[in-house]
Amino acid sequence: MQSAGNAEVMATLTGIFRDIFDNPSLVLQDSMTAADVENWDSLNHIDLIVAIEKKFKVKFTTREVTSLKTVGDLAELIEKKLATKP
Amino acid sequence: MTFTSFNFLLLLPLIVALYQIVPPRARALYLLVVSYAFYCTWSLGGAVALAVATALTFHAGKVVGNPASERRGRKVFLVTILLLVAYLSIFKIAAVVPLGGLAGFALPLGLSYYTFKLMSYIIDIYWGKIEPATNRIDFATAIAFFPQLSAGPIQRPADFLEQVPPQRTLVWQGLARVVWGLAKKMLIADSLAPTVNYVYSHIGSGPGGVHGAALLAGFYLFPLQLYADFSALTDIALGIGMMFGIHGPENFNRPFTASSISDFWRRWHMSLTNWLADYVFTPLRMATRSAGTAGLVFSIAVNMVAIGLWHGLTWGYLMFGLVHAGYLVVDALTTRRRATFFKKRPSMNWVGEWFGWLLTFHLVLIALVFFRAHTVSDAIWLLSHAWRGLTHAKGDLSPVLAAAGSKLLLMGLAGYAALELAERFRPDQWWLRFQLTAPNWLGRAVQFAAGAFVVTALVMLTIRSGSHASAFLYQVF
Repeated sequence: MQSAGNAEVMATLTGIFRDIFDNPSLVLQDSMTAADVENWDSLNHIDLIVAIEKKFKVKFTTREVTSLKTVGDLAELIEKKLATKP
Repeated sequence: MTFTSFNFLLLLPLIVALYQIVPPRARALYLLVVSYAFYCTWSLGGAVALAVATALTFHAGKVVGNPASERRGRKVFLVTILLLVAYLSIFKIAAVVPLGGLAGFALPLGLSYYTFKLMSYIIDIYWGKIEPATNRIDFATAIAFFPQLSAGPIQRPADFLEQVPPQRTLVWQGLARVVWGLAKKMLIADSLAPTVNYVYSHIGSGPGGVHGAALLAGFYLFPLQLYADFSALTDIALGIGMMFGIHGPENFNRPFTASSISDFWRRWHMSLTNWLADYVFTPLRMATRSAGTAGLVFSIAVNMVAIGLWHGLTWGYLMFGLVHAGYLVVDALTTRRRATFFKKRPSMNWVGEWFGWLLTFHLVLIALVFFRAHTVSDAIWLLSHAWRGLTHAKGDLSPVLAAAGSKLLLMGLAGYAALELAERFRPDQWWLRFQLTAPNWLGRAVQFAAGAFVVTALVMLTIRSGSHASAFLYQVF
């Protein structure tokens, strides 16, 4: 089950993904990986991360960024960062 | 011993047959013994160096992965990475400049591949992506696994270890893939090689130098030869892996159909480019992300130069990397504009697709001239003189064809066309569909015929390799 916080994060993430990957009809799911989203490759992955950092006002480390496998992992990491933010 | 050598092809069935009677829990040990025996046919000293590097990384991994000693783990991590990079670099440097006593040493077989496996292992532990391996024999097998040892693909140790102990072997499917690779190597790559070799060793204005159309032949044929050769090597490595129940990563996905340079790098030598994307490009891009476009350009440049120099420390490989860095920067900085342009003009899409493919193909070919030519000045000579004198095509080509053999070249070209068609239409998948729908007796009959064909082809290719085996282009790295 998705919590209310998760739904909110996913909605914001969807907006960022649609903008970065230039696809207004993109619908995100927790299980999605880079292979499921057209044009999502290592070249623009960090553009996505920078956009997320700006929007949510959080910071990621290289270790965190390279450990992400799915969109769900990303959403979970953002929630964790938001929850521990001072 | 290379994969196309007569001895290897004779020994392989024996190694595979014995494997079938080895109990699963002893299979990793069996593969380890075979792998080191294979390595020892090349060099005993090299095998010892491989064992030392493996043992060192295994023990370092345990320290780095121990959450109780984070500070010590960090130190051990840095020292291990430095040692591995130094080990790789010293031999790469010694290959081009005499370095004291090292000048007489050849590059240890598969050095560039196994050091990359070891580095990915220790970095993944440091990043907390994987736990340290628990079994030293399994780990040593993952690093030394003989099908991948001399030329990849670069399989991450964690991916290999997940498949140990191997349960289900796919001997027939693996064999079919090996035969496919051998055919590609011997019938296509080796048929194109004499023409390419002749052109690239006769560049310049001196006597015997080739002109116009002959230079163009070298320009267009080398990439086809390289792809047939290197993808054949990958096919054989993956096919042999399947016979032992190990699935390795694919290296190619129809690279010459790419519609942009970034698309090309998602399709060419994928196990190397994925490695660099994970451990070089992404960390650099993260570190420079506040620098905007400058950070992107810097990260692409370092990454592509690393890809070039991974092949060897020569000016040609450096140029290959730099040229691709230039391409990729332009690609990355214009992606959005291009997408917007074509979105506004949907009727132009087909022009974009065809032009994108044609442009990408030629840009890739230009970079590969630096990869193949003996010197950078040879490469520039070829590129600047290939478009002259096209009116004398017949006269330009005749010395090349006389030396390299026009029948052989025609066979190579026909074979290459068949290769591209096979990759486009995938007859192996028709076969799978046929097996599911055909009546049982017909399925069995065809299966028997196909098995007989694969075995006959293997025997014929083995005999052929006995008469003239040539080394694979990617086994020297």
